[in-house]
Amino acid sequence: MAEMEVRILQQIIEASTAGELEHVRIKYLGRKGEISALLKNIGNLAPEQRPAFGAAVNALRNKVSEMIASRKDELDREALEQSLLRDAIDVSLPGEYFEVGGLHPLTKSLREITSILSGMGFTVYESRETETDEMNFVKLNIAQGHPARDMQETFYLTETTLMRTHTSPGQIRGMLALEGRLPVRFIVPGRVYRRDPTDASHHPVFFQVEGLAIDVDVTFKQLRGVISTLMNRFFGQDVRIRLRPSYFPFTEPSCEVDISCVFCRGEGCSVCGGSGYLEVAGAGMVHPQVLLNGGYDPDKVSGFAFGFGLDRLAMLKYGIDDIRLLYGNDKRFLSQFRGL
Amino acid sequence: MRVPWTWLNEYVDLPWDPQEAAHRLAMAGINVEELTHEKLGVSSVVSAKILDVKPHPRNPGQKIGLLDTGTERLQIVSGAPGFKQGNITLVAKPGATLPGGLTIELKEIDGVASQGMAVCTNELLTGQPPRPFEDIILLPPGTALGIPAGELFELDDWVMELDLTVNYSHCLGILGIAIEAAALAKRSLKLPEVLARWNWADTHGSQKPEPDHKGDPEFKIDLPQPEFCPRYVGKVIEDVRFAYSPVNMERRLLLAGQRPLNLIVDVTNYVMLETGQPLHAFDADQIKGKTIIVRSSSPGERVVTLDDVDRELPENTILITDASGPIGIAGVMGGKATEITEATRKVLIESAYFDPLTVRLGSQKLKLRTEAALRFEKGVDPTAQAAIAERAATLIADLSGGTPVPGYAETNYLDVEPKRIVLHMRIVERLLGTKFSPETCKNILEGINFQVEDMRTHTEDASVSVVVPPRRVDIHGEVDLVEEVARHYGYDNLGTGDLSRAVPGGITDPGLLHVEKIRDLLASHGGLECVTNSLVNPEDLASLGWDPDDPRGNPVRLQHPLSSEESVLRTSLLPGLVKVASSNTRSGIQGLFAWEIGRVFFPSQELLPVETRQIGLVSYGVLRPKTWLGGQEESGFYRMKGVIDSLMSLLGVADVKYLPKAGMPFHPGRSAKIVANMSTIGEIGDLHPVCLKRLDLPMSVTACWLSLEGLLSMVTPAESVAPSRFMPVERDLAVIVPEDVSGGEVIDSISKTGRHLVAVTLFDVWKKPPVPEGYKSLAFRLVYQPQDRTLTEEELAEDRDRIMDKLRQDYKAVLRS
Repeated sequence: MAEMEVRILQQIIEASTAGELEHVRIKYLGRKGEISALLKNIGNLAPEQRPAFGAAVNALRNKVSEMIASRKDELDREALEQSLLRDAIDVSLPGEYFEVGGLHPLTKSLREITSILSGMGFTVYESRETETDEMNFVKLNIAQGHPARDMQETFYLTETTLMRTHTSPGQIRGMLALEGRLPVRFIVPGRVYRRDPTDASHHPVFFQVEGLAIDVDVTFKQLRGVISTLMNRFFGQDVRIRLRPSYFPFTEPSCEVDISCVFCRGEGCSVCGGSGYLEVAGAGMVHPQVLLNGGYDPDKVSGFAFGFGLDRLAMLKYGIDDIRLLYGNDKRFLSQFRGL
Repeated sequence: MRVPWTWLNEYVDLPWDPQEAAHRLAMAGINVEELTHEKLGVSSVVSAKILDVKPHPRNPGQKIGLLDTGTERLQIVSGAPGFKQGNITLVAKPGATLPGGLTIELKEIDGVASQGMAVCTNELLTGQPPRPFEDIILLPPGTALGIPAGELFELDDWVMELDLTVNYSHCLGILGIAIEAAALAKRSLKLPEVLARWNWADTHGSQKPEPDHKGDPEFKIDLPQPEFCPRYVGKVIEDVRFAYSPVNMERRLLLAGQRPLNLIVDVTNYVMLETGQPLHAFDADQIKGKTIIVRSSSPGERVVTLDDVDRELPENTILITDASGPIGIAGVMGGKATEITEATRKVLIESAYFDPLTVRLGSQKLKLRTEAALRFEKGVDPTAQAAIAERAATLIADLSGGTPVPGYAETNYLDVEPKRIVLHMRIVERLLGTKFSPETCKNILEGINFQVEDMRTHTEDASVSVVVPPRRVDIHGEVDLVEEVARHYGYDNLGTGDLSRAVPGGITDPGLLHVEKIRDLLASHGGLECVTNSLVNPEDLASLGWDPDDPRGNPVRLQHPLSSEESVLRTSLLPGLVKVASSNTRSGIQGLFAWEIGRVFFPSQELLPVETRQIGLVSYGVLRPKTWLGGQEESGFYRMKGVIDSLMSLLGVADVKYLPKAGMPFHPGRSAKIVANMSTIGEIGDLHPVCLKRLDLPMSVTACWLSLEGLLSMVTPAESVAPSRFMPVERDLAVIVPEDVSGGEVIDSISKTGRHLVAVTLFDVWKKPPVPEGYKSLAFRLVYQPQDRTLTEEELAEDRDRIMDKLRQDYKAVLRS
């Protein structure tokens, strides 16, 4: 029987298909199988030997059926594996193609600025693009004949209305909308217009982001803090801030904001003209007269304001060297901004 | 403004190199745009003594001289009057180079060899031949021989090109910059003797020194319109002779951007660049009636100005006139008739105060932006006219030997009161965020010539009381002093701070957040965002064929556009986007889906135009090329409509209808008005072939505009309903309807008639056999999903009958079997 067991196990292992295995099963375990046949001879044994023989045959039967079941599992698994492999695909072929659009680099830049500043409590106020002379100039301390109007090349619509030359009139409109509530903290993003013919760095329509903060304790020191955080986060690197005294009729003290060059990190390169610094904004403490014009008392509150050129920031961030690309709307250019 | 380094250092010994000085000045607000090293490239030009002079044998206009350079003897031919035995001159030896690349060779002059050339100032500084009456350079007796020209004169120099902000008129003279630089470097200021004597730049303004100026210069000054010219000083110098300026003065003028002309004119320019006060020199003998009248022009008056242009004077131009009429335009340019010539023997120097705005408007009208006008229009020191006239007269007398007539002719209506401002330390701290002591403020302000009259050091009311020098016309109030303190302390030394309070409620319009979601949706549907010009060409509006009574054909116009192509405000985003399509086609781009969100403008009855926001979309061509997985995706009406459907579902705008036929620029059979909540909020369609032809577009273009304000007014926030626990049931329904029946209406009708329907999807449109001619088959998939049960077959059959009854009744529909 031991010899038989070895032979059966051998045949089970050698069965390479479910059919062959079934064949083995019928041969040994079937009603007319060899194992059943063993029991037919049980009568020839002495009665005291019979129970032991019967138990041995049953043990063999159990062992063989276990082996067959286990071998069957094995063969089924192999068969499934093979059939799955027949369904295999070429994973190297291109996937389904979705044409994804994208946002304009000016929008992307503005979103980053808005998100950084909103973390500091700035909200967004969209002002007008067509303005009165009064809002664009007079309320900002730029009276008729003021030499600062030299800096403003203006598109007039009528004697008294014009395309805003800066987002600063949004300061006045925003202040008036808040009706004296404190703290004041908002940005005014949007298009501005100047009579500059188009070239690599000028376009008659461009974008600015104005910021205004007014409260009982707003200082020049805080202005530096806000600008510094904004620039560091926007450019994703440690940017040094340099404030240079300058002049705007609606701020006093006034400054130009320089940042260490984001290309050469201040070493000096062609983008920064070797100076290591880039001019990115004008800023200052809101002039007392402008606070009054917005309905705030300069004896009780102070404020700072800043104005960034959004085009310049976007150009620096994305390494764009010609402003005309921003307004050319060429698909090959715009497609490059689908990513983050 | 261009500032030669040697000139600046004449007034203050700066402990810096030019680069450091430029940086320090820039950080104090005096913006140095460029710093250049100006080299003349003069070599082998040295001092030499004329030992002996003989007549030229063949040319009586020339002389032959023997010159000693200390190391060699040269035979030089020259015709200059100063070429005399005993004089020391400058000689360019053979091989010498002069500006402009001119080289000096050994040459023969009328048969006599000349070993070089004795040079005049013009040759030395510009490489050009002598000017009329110009002599060779004569060096003082005792000058050592063989000294190179570069050591005798300031030939090589650094020049700072300043880009001053408009309030920095006090730096439009080099002395003003020297005051700032001296304060920054903590060095003392060295004023020219006359200006020091007159206390120029003093807090109380220039003061007439005793016992100067008795005497009568015989000229009368008449100022009938003191609002335009409140002060006029005339200083007379007699017995002047014609001369050119010394080498260094000419060099400095050239570096500063002024062309040297003759000594008298040069001195007026030099003193203007020195002090910021423009001066003018008249040939006093040509002033008729010994009277100067400053008045505004009468119609038709003309004057020939120094630049030889006969100008008709616009009305209300302020003129300098004499008994004969106009002799100059006040503050802008002098007249030809009284200019300085070789014959001039008596000079009248004008040093005046003209009203800034008047000069500004006048020079704008005449389109004459002179250095003088630039300074007058920003405002000059109203007290300094006499002091500066004296400075110029003294300089002329010193350099050419004329005789200033004591005293001066003057009419003065100005009574300048010193401006007094109290600067409180609490204001300084409140604005800057940094504590300052009164002592620090006092030191800074005194450093730039302010006078501190009083100082309080008690903490509650710590302050300094300041008198503002009259040359600082930019200082009006306390905040201006805060800036002076801050910029001399250094903006970058003030530190960094954080905003303190949270903002309770802002003014962010919730619509702005929706707009950003719209942008994301359009981008994720394959659209590229554009930014087009909001200034457009009226012809582009016309090309789109809007009716004359359509407001979009009647834009707001700019008064003075740069060009007609950018002369009106857009009334629609479509012209800009159609241009985007056409420019991309011309770049060979096969397909494009682009969009923009921006403002459009319409004229209004109010003061300002109406501004309203739009979404614009445009597409053409193949949006997705054929791949191994499937066919290409093409631009077209239904694709764009699908994007709009997504947009509507994002915003929760329900019940949107597409009514056939939008007006121009759309194709009448392939366009629709988009209507929601009973109002038209946009249009969509393929462009009209006539427009395509006009715009030279070779392909079909689909476009759409939507009113953003309209959409935002209809935004409905999403509502949630618990999903049904029962299985949905799907049934297909195919109907045959006459071909002209609107499919959209059939869908709406099914949706409204059916019960428990959650989706009605059109999945097939068929117009060919077996469907009879003139009919179409529409196949729908209906999804039933009641909340509380599963529908029975009877209920489903009942519903189908209900729907078919309605469709039969309304659209003559029959069930397709």
